[in-house]
Amino acid sequence: MPLHRRNRAMAALDVSAFADIAFLLIIFFILTTTFVRPAGAPLEIPAGAEDKKQSEKKNLTVSLSPTAIRYGEKGEAVTLDELRARLLKRDLPRRAEADRIVILDSAPTVKYQAYYEVVMVINSTGGVLALIDEEPDR
Amino acid sequence: MIRRRSHRMPALVPVAAMGDIAFLLIIFFVLTTNFIKEGHVRVEPPRAVDIEQMDESPVSVVMDEDGNLWLQGAQCSVEILQNGVEAALQGSKTREVMLKIDRNMQEQDFQPVLMALSKAGATIKLTGDKRRN
Repeated sequence: MPLHRRNRAMAALDVSAFADIAFLLIIFFILTTTFVRPAGAPLEIPAGAEDKKQSEKKNLTVSLSPTAIRYGEKGEAVTLDELRARLLKRDLPRRAEADRIVILDSAPTVKYQAYYEVVMVINSTGGVLALIDEEPDR
Repeated sequence: MIRRRSHRMPALVPVAAMGDIAFLLIIFFVLTTNFIKEGHVRVEPPRAVDIEQMDESPVSVVMDEDGNLWLQGAQCSVEILQNGVEAALQGSKTREVMLKIDRNMQEQDFQPVLMALSKAGATIKLTGDKRRN
């Protein structure tokens, strides 16, 4: 029995929709990508267990309460700009690391916004931040 | 004058290569994208004048507006933060940890976080928004 080849049209696969899907995915990735770099400052907080009383005598202390920033042993109330000016006057970057330590003594109810601004001023003027770890009573 | 319509084949634009190009672009974006680990965490960053733009760090810690703590996008407690950060920093080239805290948190809430990161030997990158004068 003779077999006849049928004259069929070639099966053409329409791939134009692939490009549409792919470009939709690209748009998704572009929209979900963050191009914004974070702002801030790196801090090295010394982790040493120093004697608190000794450190307070030797190093500069900045006290922070919900209403005021107090500078030095006398606890003179200063604004953020005054604090920056005083720390700049001390020329901390030229000093030895031990003399650059600024102890930040903060009240428990101080909000992070106020704390952050003071920390950034200390950091930008060359100070090395030291925190007071309140050990719970045993 | 009689114009005759010429019998031309319809012009076919080969669009198969478009898909190839698009998928190459997708692969590029997938490989270069840093997905935000804490996209679901609600936090209002503090503002300060004395900050600059800096590079991202591989390890991130976030304290949200409710005081919840997130390490690498997973919720954790202060007690396990030090060990968690030490483990996350293993194999990392730097000791840098990005720390983002909600601006309304109080010192009694975030102080243990700072102490834990300090004890873990991390260089803390405190992030915030730049305030213009």
